[in-house]
Amino acid sequence: MPDTLPGTLPPRLDATVMAMVVVREFFDGAVVNLGIGIPMHCADVIPPDREVLLHSEHGLLGFGPLLRTAEGVDPYCFIVGNRPVQPQPGMVYLSHDESFSIIRGGHIDITVMGGMQVDTEGNLANAHPPGKPAANLGGAQDLATCAKRTMIMMYHTASDGSPKVVERCTFPLTAPRCVDRIVTDVAVMDLEGGHIVLREVAPGWTPEQVQSITGARLVVADDVREISLV
Amino acid sequence: MIDKTVASFDEAVSDIVDGAFLHMGGFASPFNMPSYLIAALARSGARDLTMTTTSASTGPENAKRLASALADVVTWPQDYWEPGLLAQLGQIRKLITSFPTGTGNVVWPFEERLNAGEAEVEVTGQGSLAERIRAARAGIAAFYTPVGPGTVVAAGKEIRDFEGVPHVLEHALHADFALIRAWKADRYGNLVFRGPRTFNETMAGAARVTIAEVDEMVPLGDLAPDRIHTPGVYVQRVVVRPSTPPASWEEPC
Repeated sequence: MPDTLPGTLPPRLDATVMAMVVVREFFDGAVVNLGIGIPMHCADVIPPDREVLLHSEHGLLGFGPLLRTAEGVDPYCFIVGNRPVQPQPGMVYLSHDESFSIIRGGHIDITVMGGMQVDTEGNLANAHPPGKPAANLGGAQDLATCAKRTMIMMYHTASDGSPKVVERCTFPLTAPRCVDRIVTDVAVMDLEGGHIVLREVAPGWTPEQVQSITGARLVVADDVREISLV
Repeated sequence: MIDKTVASFDEAVSDIVDGAFLHMGGFASPFNMPSYLIAALARSGARDLTMTTTSASTGPENAKRLASALADVVTWPQDYWEPGLLAQLGQIRKLITSFPTGTGNVVWPFEERLNAGEAEVEVTGQGSLAERIRAARAGIAAFYTPVGPGTVVAAGKEIRDFEGVPHVLEHALHADFALIRAWKADRYGNLVFRGPRTFNETMAGAARVTIAEVDEMVPLGDLAPDRIHTPGVYVQRVVVRPSTPPASWEEPC
Protein backbone atom coordinates (compact mmCIF):
# COMPACT_ATOMS: atom_id res chain seq x y z
CA MET A 1 0.00 0.00 0.00
CA PRO A 2 1.54 3.34 -1.02
CA ASP A 3 2.24 5.93 1.63
CA THR A 4 -0.41 8.61 1.88
CA LEU A 5 0.89 11.87 0.49
CA PRO A 6 1.15 14.69 3.03
CA GLY A 7 -2.02 16.79 2.90
CA THR A 8 -4.09 14.24 1.05
CA LEU A 9 -6.88 12.45 2.84
CA PRO A 10 -8.17 8.91 2.47
CA PRO A 11 -11.27 8.20 0.38
CA ARG A 12 -14.66 8.98 1.89
CA LEU A 13 -17.67 6.73 2.25
CA ASP A 14 -20.41 6.95 -0.36
CA ALA A 15 -24.05 7.58 0.51
CA THR A 16 -25.00 3.90 0.41
CA VAL A 17 -22.32 2.96 2.91
CA MET A 18 -23.26 5.94 5.09
CA ALA A 19 -26.84 4.62 4.99
CA MET A 20 -25.62 1.16 6.04
CA VAL A 21 -23.94 2.81 9.04
CA VAL A 22 -27.16 4.60 9.96
CA VAL A 23 -29.43 1.56 9.63
CA ARG A 24 -27.32 -0.42 12.10
CA GLU A 25 -29.55 1.34 14.65
CA PHE A 26 -32.88 0.48 13.02
CA PHE A 27 -34.05 -2.23 15.38
CA ASP A 28 -36.83 -4.69 14.60
CA GLY A 29 -40.09 -2.77 15.05
CA ALA A 30 -38.52 0.69 14.96
CA VAL A 31 -40.61 3.63 13.71
CA VAL A 32 -38.29 5.75 11.58
CA ASN A 33 -38.64 8.99 9.66
CA LEU A 34 -36.18 9.56 6.80
CA GLY A 35 -35.58 13.08 5.52
CA ILE A 36 -35.60 13.71 1.81
CA GLY A 37 -32.25 13.63 0.04
CA ILE A 38 -29.35 11.61 1.37
CA PRO A 39 -31.24 9.92 4.27
CA MET A 40 -33.60 8.25 1.78
CA HIS A 41 -30.71 5.93 0.88
CA CYS A 42 -31.45 4.20 4.19
CA ALA A 43 -34.72 2.82 2.79
CA ASP A 44 -32.73 0.74 0.30
CA VAL A 45 -30.45 -0.94 2.82
CA ILE A 46 -32.68 -1.86 5.75
CA PRO A 47 -31.73 -5.42 6.71
CA PRO A 48 -34.51 -7.79 5.56
CA ASP A 49 -34.62 -9.54 8.93
CA ARG A 50 -36.06 -6.40 10.57
CA GLU A 51 -39.52 -4.90 10.18
CA VAL A 52 -38.98 -1.13 10.24
CA LEU A 53 -41.94 1.21 9.85
CA LEU A 54 -41.01 4.21 7.72
CA HIS A 55 -42.99 7.37 8.42
CA SER A 56 -43.49 10.35 6.14
CA GLU A 57 -44.92 13.65 7.37
CA HIS A 58 -47.78 14.02 4.89
CA GLY A 59 -49.48 10.91 6.20
CA LEU A 60 -47.75 7.68 5.33
CA LEU A 61 -46.58 5.01 7.77
CA GLY A 62 -45.03 1.68 6.86
CA PHE A 63 -43.99 2.21 3.23
CA GLY A 64 -41.18 0.56 1.28
CA PRO A 65 -38.26 1.82 -0.82
CA LEU A 66 -38.38 4.46 -3.53
CA LEU A 67 -39.53 3.06 -6.87
CA ARG A 68 -37.27 3.82 -9.80
CA THR A 69 -39.33 2.17 -12.55
CA ALA A 70 -43.06 2.16 -13.30
CA GLU A 71 -43.46 -1.43 -12.11
CA GLY A 72 -45.65 -1.70 -9.03
CA VAL A 73 -46.33 2.05 -8.82
CA ASP A 74 -49.47 3.24 -7.05
CA PRO A 75 -49.46 6.98 -7.87
CA TYR A 76 -51.31 7.67 -4.61
CA CYS A 77 -48.47 6.15 -2.60
CA PHE A 78 -45.69 8.72 -2.76
CA ILE A 79 -43.37 10.72 -0.58
CA VAL A 80 -42.36 14.36 -0.79
CA GLY A 81 -41.06 15.35 -4.20
CA ASN A 82 -43.80 13.18 -5.65
CA ARG A 83 -41.60 10.14 -5.70
CA PRO A 84 -43.62 6.92 -5.65
CA VAL A 85 -42.67 4.42 -2.97
CA GLN A 86 -43.42 0.74 -2.63
CA PRO A 87 -46.73 0.11 -0.84
CA GLN A 88 -46.28 -2.48 1.92
CA PRO A 89 -48.68 -4.74 3.83
CA GLY A 90 -49.69 -3.04 7.07
CA MET A 91 -49.16 0.44 5.65
CA VAL A 92 -51.38 3.24 6.97
CA TYR A 93 -52.46 6.54 5.40
CA LEU A 94 -52.97 9.47 7.75
CA SER A 95 -53.91 13.14 7.81
CA HIS A 96 -51.27 15.77 8.48
CA ASP A 97 -52.51 16.44 11.99
CA GLU A 98 -52.50 12.73 12.87
CA SER A 99 -49.08 12.31 11.31
CA PHE A 100 -47.69 15.09 13.49
CA SER A 101 -49.44 13.72 16.57
CA ILE A 102 -47.29 10.67 15.94
CA ILE A 103 -44.20 12.90 15.76
CA ARG A 104 -44.99 15.37 18.53
CA GLY A 105 -46.34 12.65 20.77
CA GLY A 106 -42.95 10.94 20.80
CA HIS A 107 -43.93 7.87 18.76
CA ILE A 108 -41.02 8.17 16.31
CA ASP A 109 -38.04 6.13 17.49
CA ILE A 110 -35.44 7.50 15.10
CA THR A 111 -35.43 10.49 12.77
CA VAL A 112 -32.67 10.73 10.17
CA MET A 113 -32.18 14.05 8.43
CA GLY A 114 -29.61 16.01 6.50
CA GLY A 115 -27.71 18.89 8.04
CA MET A 116 -26.06 22.14 7.05
CA GLN A 117 -24.49 22.72 10.46
CA VAL A 118 -24.42 20.86 13.77
CA ASP A 119 -22.63 22.36 16.76
CA THR A 120 -21.24 21.18 20.08
CA GLU A 121 -24.54 21.84 21.88
CA GLY A 122 -26.34 19.57 19.45
CA ASN A 123 -27.99 22.55 17.79
CA LEU A 124 -29.12 21.86 14.24
CA ALA A 125 -29.30 24.17 11.23
CA ASN A 126 -30.64 22.61 8.05
CA ALA A 127 -33.54 24.74 6.81
CA HIS A 128 -32.37 28.17 5.73
CA PRO A 129 -29.54 28.27 3.18
CA PRO A 130 -27.80 31.62 2.64
CA GLY A 131 -29.37 33.61 -0.17
CA LYS A 132 -32.87 32.27 0.34
CA PRO A 133 -35.50 34.73 1.62
CA ALA A 134 -37.04 32.33 4.16
CA ALA A 135 -36.52 28.96 5.84
CA ASN A 136 -37.93 25.69 4.54
CA LEU A 137 -38.73 24.15 7.90
CA GLY A 138 -40.95 21.37 6.58
CA GLY A 139 -41.41 18.87 9.40
CA ALA A 140 -37.78 19.00 10.51
CA GLN A 141 -38.43 21.12 13.57
CA ASP A 142 -41.09 18.78 14.92
CA LEU A 143 -39.03 15.68 14.14
CA ALA A 144 -35.74 16.95 15.58
CA THR A 145 -37.47 18.17 18.75
CA CYS A 146 -39.74 15.22 19.43
CA ALA A 147 -38.26 12.01 18.01
CA LYS A 148 -36.68 9.77 20.62
CA ARG A 149 -33.40 9.84 18.67
CA THR A 150 -32.21 12.42 16.13
CA MET A 151 -29.51 11.30 13.72
CA ILE A 152 -27.91 13.66 11.23
CA MET A 153 -26.66 12.03 8.05
CA MET A 154 -24.53 14.43 6.01
CA TYR A 155 -21.28 14.94 4.21
CA HIS A 156 -18.62 16.02 6.67
CA THR A 157 -17.87 19.22 4.76
CA ALA A 158 -19.90 21.49 2.49
CA SER A 159 -19.35 21.55 -1.27
CA ASP A 160 -16.97 24.50 -0.82
CA GLY A 161 -14.98 22.49 1.72
CA SER A 162 -16.15 24.44 4.76
CA PRO A 163 -16.88 22.42 7.91
CA LYS A 164 -20.46 21.47 8.78
CA VAL A 165 -19.59 20.23 12.27
CA VAL A 166 -18.90 23.52 14.04
CA GLU A 167 -18.44 25.12 17.48
CA ARG A 168 -21.55 27.30 17.05
CA CYS A 169 -24.11 27.25 14.27
CA THR A 170 -24.06 30.48 12.28
CA PHE A 171 -27.13 29.64 10.20
CA PRO A 172 -30.63 30.00 11.74
CA LEU A 173 -31.49 27.02 13.94
CA THR A 174 -34.02 24.41 12.92
CA ALA A 175 -34.11 23.18 16.51
CA PRO A 176 -31.87 23.66 19.54
CA ARG A 177 -30.09 20.85 21.43
CA CYS A 178 -31.70 18.05 19.49
CA VAL A 179 -28.95 16.03 17.79
CA ASP A 180 -27.91 12.69 19.28
CA ARG A 181 -25.60 11.31 16.59
CA ILE A 182 -23.91 12.51 13.39
CA VAL A 183 -23.01 10.06 10.66
CA THR A 184 -20.82 11.54 7.91
CA ASP A 185 -18.73 10.22 5.05
CA VAL A 186 -15.70 10.11 7.36
CA ALA A 187 -16.93 9.61 10.94
CA VAL A 188 -19.58 8.70 13.49
CA MET A 189 -19.94 11.24 16.30
CA ASP A 190 -22.18 11.46 19.37
CA LEU A 191 -23.38 14.58 21.16
CA GLU A 192 -22.71 14.19 24.86
CA GLY A 193 -22.85 16.90 27.52
CA GLY A 194 -21.81 19.77 25.28
CA HIS A 195 -19.11 17.77 23.52
CA ILE A 196 -18.86 16.05 20.17
CA VAL A 197 -17.41 12.61 20.81
CA LEU A 198 -15.66 10.90 17.91
CA ARG A 199 -16.67 7.23 18.07
CA GLU A 200 -15.77 5.80 14.69
CA VAL A 201 -13.67 6.81 11.70
CA ALA A 202 -13.95 5.71 8.08
CA PRO A 203 -11.44 3.05 6.96
CA GLY A 204 -8.01 4.62 6.50
CA TRP A 205 -8.83 7.76 8.46
CA THR A 206 -7.14 8.78 11.70
CA PRO A 207 -8.91 10.87 14.36
CA GLU A 208 -6.42 13.65 13.58
CA GLN A 209 -7.42 13.65 9.92
CA VAL A 210 -11.11 13.85 10.86
CA GLN A 211 -10.31 16.70 13.24
CA SER A 212 -8.45 18.55 10.48
CA ILE A 213 -11.66 19.00 8.44
CA THR A 214 -13.93 19.66 11.45
CA GLY A 215 -14.88 23.12 12.72
CA ALA A 216 -15.29 22.07 16.36
CA ARG A 217 -12.96 20.38 18.80
CA LEU A 218 -13.69 16.66 18.86
CA VAL A 219 -13.36 14.54 21.97
CA VAL A 220 -11.84 11.27 20.78
CA ALA A 221 -13.50 8.31 22.48
CA ASP A 222 -11.14 6.00 24.37
CA ASP A 223 -12.37 3.12 22.26
CA VAL A 224 -12.50 4.97 18.93
CA ARG A 225 -12.52 2.42 16.13
CA GLU A 226 -12.87 1.95 12.42
CA ILE A 227 -16.47 2.04 11.12
CA SER A 228 -17.85 -1.43 10.56
CA LEU A 229 -21.22 -2.32 9.13
CA VAL A 230 -22.27 -4.82 11.78
CA MET B 1 -83.07 17.87 1.64
CA ILE B 2 -79.35 18.19 2.11
CA ASP B 3 -77.38 18.48 -1.12
CA LYS B 4 -73.98 20.16 -1.01
CA THR B 5 -73.20 19.50 -4.66
CA VAL B 6 -72.19 22.56 -6.66
CA ALA B 7 -72.41 22.36 -10.46
CA SER B 8 -69.12 24.01 -11.40
CA PHE B 9 -65.77 24.97 -9.95
CA ASP B 10 -66.29 28.56 -11.06
CA GLU B 11 -69.52 28.70 -9.06
CA ALA B 12 -67.88 27.01 -6.07
CA VAL B 13 -65.26 29.77 -5.70
CA SER B 14 -67.42 32.69 -6.87
CA ASP B 15 -67.68 34.24 -3.40
CA ILE B 16 -63.95 34.07 -2.64
CA VAL B 17 -63.27 37.79 -2.75
CA ASP B 18 -60.09 39.86 -2.73
CA GLY B 19 -58.36 39.66 0.63
CA ALA B 20 -59.90 36.31 1.62
CA PHE B 21 -58.09 33.91 3.98
CA LEU B 22 -57.84 30.38 2.55
CA HIS B 23 -56.65 26.98 3.69
CA MET B 24 -55.24 25.21 0.65
CA GLY B 25 -55.01 21.44 0.91
CA GLY B 26 -52.83 18.94 -0.90
CA PHE B 27 -49.19 18.03 -0.73
CA ALA B 28 -47.22 18.55 -3.91
CA SER B 29 -48.93 15.79 -5.83
CA PRO B 30 -51.37 15.81 -8.75
CA PHE B 31 -53.16 12.99 -6.97
CA ASN B 32 -54.19 14.93 -3.90
CA MET B 33 -54.15 18.57 -4.97
CA PRO B 34 -57.44 20.51 -5.34
CA SER B 35 -56.27 21.44 -8.83
CA TYR B 36 -59.62 22.42 -10.30
CA LEU B 37 -60.42 24.72 -7.39
CA ILE B 38 -57.00 26.35 -7.85
CA ALA B 39 -57.65 26.77 -11.57
CA ALA B 40 -61.05 28.31 -10.84
CA LEU B 41 -59.42 30.70 -8.38
CA ALA B 42 -56.86 31.61 -11.04
CA ARG B 43 -59.72 32.37 -13.45
CA SER B 44 -61.64 34.37 -10.85
CA GLY B 45 -58.66 36.67 -10.38
CA ALA B 46 -59.28 37.11 -6.63
CA ARG B 47 -56.27 38.98 -5.27
CA ASP B 48 -54.51 39.80 -2.00
CA LEU B 49 -55.19 36.29 -0.77
CA THR B 50 -53.75 35.03 2.50
CA MET B 51 -53.26 31.30 2.35
CA THR B 52 -52.06 28.45 4.51
CA THR B 53 -50.38 25.71 2.54
CA THR B 54 -47.80 23.09 3.36
CA SER B 55 -45.59 24.32 0.52
CA ALA B 56 -45.60 27.42 -1.69
CA SER B 57 -45.30 24.89 -4.54
CA THR B 58 -43.06 24.77 -7.55
CA GLY B 59 -45.16 26.66 -10.10
CA PRO B 60 -46.14 25.33 -13.53
CA GLU B 61 -42.70 25.45 -15.19
CA ASN B 62 -40.85 23.64 -12.41
CA ALA B 63 -43.72 21.14 -12.17
CA LYS B 64 -43.25 20.30 -15.86
CA ARG B 65 -39.54 19.65 -15.25
CA LEU B 66 -40.35 17.43 -12.25
CA ALA B 67 -42.92 15.52 -14.26
CA SER B 68 -40.47 14.79 -17.05
CA ALA B 69 -37.77 13.78 -14.54
CA LEU B 70 -40.20 11.21 -13.11
CA ALA B 71 -41.67 10.15 -16.46
CA ASP B 72 -40.15 6.66 -16.30
CA VAL B 73 -41.81 6.01 -12.95
CA VAL B 74 -45.16 7.76 -12.89
CA THR B 75 -47.31 9.65 -15.38
CA TRP B 76 -48.60 12.96 -14.13
CA PRO B 77 -52.04 14.00 -15.34
CA GLN B 78 -52.35 17.15 -17.45
CA ASP B 79 -54.86 18.69 -15.06
CA TYR B 80 -52.38 19.49 -12.30
CA TRP B 81 -52.44 23.05 -11.00
CA GLU B 82 -51.01 24.03 -7.64
CA PRO B 83 -50.62 27.15 -5.48
CA GLY B 84 -47.52 28.17 -7.44
CA LEU B 85 -49.86 29.13 -10.29
CA LEU B 86 -51.65 31.61 -8.01
CA ALA B 87 -48.29 33.02 -6.89
CA GLN B 88 -47.20 33.36 -10.51
CA LEU B 89 -50.39 35.29 -11.29
CA GLY B 90 -49.73 37.64 -8.36
CA GLN B 91 -52.86 36.65 -6.43
CA ILE B 92 -51.16 35.79 -3.12
CA ARG B 93 -50.33 38.52 -0.64
CA LYS B 94 -49.26 36.28 2.23
CA LEU B 95 -48.50 32.64 2.80
CA ILE B 96 -48.42 30.85 6.12
CA THR B 97 -46.36 27.83 5.18
CA SER B 98 -43.64 25.37 6.15
CA PHE B 99 -41.89 25.40 2.78
CA PRO B 100 -41.79 28.79 1.01
CA THR B 101 -38.89 28.40 -1.43
CA GLY B 102 -37.30 26.07 -3.96
CA THR B 103 -34.24 24.11 -2.97
CA GLY B 104 -30.76 24.60 -4.40
CA ASN B 105 -30.82 26.91 -7.39
CA VAL B 106 -34.50 26.34 -8.12
CA VAL B 107 -36.59 29.48 -7.61
CA TRP B 108 -40.34 29.19 -7.21
CA PRO B 109 -42.87 31.86 -8.29
CA PHE B 110 -43.76 32.73 -4.68
CA GLU B 111 -40.08 33.15 -3.90
CA GLU B 112 -39.77 35.61 -6.78
CA ARG B 113 -42.65 37.60 -5.26
CA LEU B 114 -40.94 37.51 -1.87
CA ASN B 115 -37.65 38.69 -3.34
CA ALA B 116 -39.47 41.50 -5.12
CA GLY B 117 -41.16 42.58 -1.87
CA GLU B 118 -44.58 41.88 -3.36
CA ALA B 119 -45.61 39.17 -0.90
CA GLU B 120 -44.95 38.19 2.69
CA VAL B 121 -44.49 34.90 4.46
CA GLU B 122 -45.01 33.50 7.94
CA VAL B 123 -42.83 30.42 8.17
CA THR B 124 -44.10 27.77 10.54
CA GLY B 125 -43.13 24.19 11.17
CA GLN B 126 -45.41 21.72 9.42
CA GLY B 127 -46.64 20.16 12.66
CA SER B 128 -47.56 23.47 14.23
CA LEU B 129 -49.30 24.48 11.00
CA ALA B 130 -51.30 21.25 11.02
CA GLU B 131 -52.25 21.56 14.68
CA ARG B 132 -53.16 25.26 14.36
CA ILE B 133 -55.60 24.29 11.61
CA ARG B 134 -56.91 21.23 13.46
CA ALA B 135 -57.40 23.41 16.54
CA ALA B 136 -59.56 25.81 14.54
CA ARG B 137 -61.78 22.94 13.44
CA ALA B 138 -62.00 21.67 17.02
CA GLY B 139 -62.75 25.04 18.61
CA ILE B 140 -59.42 25.32 20.45
CA ALA B 141 -58.17 28.93 20.55
CA ALA B 142 -54.50 28.18 21.14
CA PHE B 143 -52.18 25.48 22.45
CA TYR B 144 -48.67 25.01 23.82
CA THR B 145 -46.22 22.92 21.79
CA PRO B 146 -42.60 22.00 22.55
CA VAL B 147 -41.71 22.63 18.91
CA GLY B 148 -40.25 26.05 18.13
CA PRO B 149 -38.66 27.53 21.28
CA GLY B 150 -35.10 28.67 20.56
CA THR B 151 -35.85 29.31 16.88
CA VAL B 152 -37.26 32.12 14.77
CA VAL B 153 -40.79 30.72 14.80
CA ALA B 154 -41.11 31.47 18.53
CA ALA B 155 -40.10 35.13 18.18
CA GLY B 156 -42.63 37.36 19.95
CA LYS B 157 -44.72 34.43 21.18
CA GLU B 158 -45.43 33.39 24.77
CA ILE B 159 -43.07 30.71 26.12
CA ARG B 160 -44.09 28.60 29.11
CA ASP B 161 -42.36 25.69 30.80
CA PHE B 162 -44.18 22.41 31.35
CA GLU B 163 -42.21 19.87 33.41
CA GLY B 164 -39.06 21.83 32.66
CA VAL B 165 -39.55 21.86 28.90
CA PRO B 166 -40.17 25.19 27.15
CA HIS B 167 -43.33 25.31 25.06
CA VAL B 168 -44.53 28.03 22.71
CA LEU B 169 -48.13 29.25 22.52
CA GLU B 170 -49.50 28.80 19.00
CA HIS B 171 -52.86 30.20 17.94
CA ALA B 172 -55.53 28.48 15.88
CA LEU B 173 -55.92 29.42 12.21
CA HIS B 174 -59.56 29.71 11.17
CA ALA B 175 -60.00 30.60 7.50
CA ASP B 176 -62.79 32.00 5.38
CA PHE B 177 -62.53 29.06 2.97
CA ALA B 178 -60.82 25.66 2.97
CA LEU B 179 -60.12 24.18 -0.48
CA ILE B 180 -59.51 20.45 -0.30
CA ARG B 181 -59.34 17.34 -2.46
CA ALA B 182 -60.98 14.00 -1.67
CA TRP B 183 -61.75 10.81 -3.54
CA LYS B 184 -65.43 10.09 -3.00
CA ALA B 185 -68.29 12.11 -1.55
CA ASP B 186 -72.02 11.79 -1.03
CA ARG B 187 -74.53 14.62 -1.12
CA TYR B 188 -74.18 15.16 2.65
CA GLY B 189 -70.53 16.05 2.04
CA ASN B 190 -69.20 12.94 3.76
CA LEU B 191 -65.73 12.31 2.37
CA VAL B 192 -63.40 9.40 1.76
CA PHE B 193 -59.79 10.01 0.77
CA ARG B 194 -57.32 7.93 -1.17
CA GLY B 195 -53.62 7.87 -0.31
CA PRO B 196 -52.02 10.13 2.29
CA ARG B 197 -54.79 12.46 3.50
CA THR B 198 -52.33 15.32 4.10
CA PHE B 199 -53.84 18.72 4.89
CA ASN B 200 -56.99 17.78 2.96
CA GLU B 201 -58.48 16.00 5.94
CA THR B 202 -56.90 18.38 8.47
CA MET B 203 -58.37 21.52 6.88
CA ALA B 204 -61.95 20.26 6.46
CA GLY B 205 -64.08 22.20 8.94
CA ALA B 206 -61.37 24.74 9.83
CA ALA B 207 -63.06 27.44 7.77
CA ARG B 208 -66.42 29.14 7.42
CA VAL B 209 -66.83 27.33 4.08
CA THR B 210 -65.06 24.09 3.19
CA ILE B 211 -65.12 23.21 -0.52
CA ALA B 212 -64.22 19.65 -1.49
CA GLU B 213 -63.07 18.74 -5.01
CA VAL B 214 -63.74 15.02 -5.50
CA ASP B 215 -63.13 12.37 -8.11
CA GLU B 216 -66.49 10.71 -7.67
CA MET B 217 -69.93 11.40 -6.27
CA VAL B 218 -71.73 8.35 -4.87
CA PRO B 219 -75.35 7.86 -3.75
CA LEU B 220 -76.13 8.52 -0.12
CA GLY B 221 -75.57 5.30 1.79
CA ASP B 222 -72.81 3.97 -0.45
CA LEU B 223 -70.09 5.14 1.92
CA ALA B 224 -69.93 2.79 4.89
CA PRO B 225 -70.36 4.77 8.14
CA ASP B 226 -67.24 3.24 9.67
CA ARG B 227 -65.14 4.05 6.60
CA ILE B 228 -65.92 7.77 6.26
CA HIS B 229 -62.87 9.93 6.99
CA THR B 230 -64.51 13.36 7.14
CA PRO B 231 -68.11 13.82 8.28
CA GLY B 232 -70.20 16.04 6.04
CA VAL B 233 -70.82 18.57 8.80
CA TYR B 234 -67.32 19.91 8.11
CA VAL B 235 -68.06 20.36 4.41
CA GLN B 236 -70.29 22.98 2.78
CA ARG B 237 -69.69 22.41 -0.94
CA VAL B 238 -68.73 19.45 -3.10
CA VAL B 239 -67.66 19.69 -6.77
CA VAL B 240 -66.89 16.71 -8.99
CA ARG B 241 -63.83 16.70 -11.25
CA PRO B 242 -64.57 16.36 -14.97
CA SER B 243 -63.79 13.04 -16.61
CA THR B 244 -62.11 14.78 -19.55
CA PRO B 245 -59.51 17.39 -18.60
CA PRO B 246 -59.74 20.81 -20.26
CA ALA B 247 -56.92 22.01 -22.50
CA SER B 248 -55.72 24.56 -19.97
CA TRP B 249 -56.59 26.08 -16.60
CA GLU B 250 -58.09 29.06 -18.42
CA GLU B 251 -61.06 27.06 -19.70
CA PRO B 252 -64.24 27.60 -17.62
CA CYS B 253 -65.10 24.46 -15.68
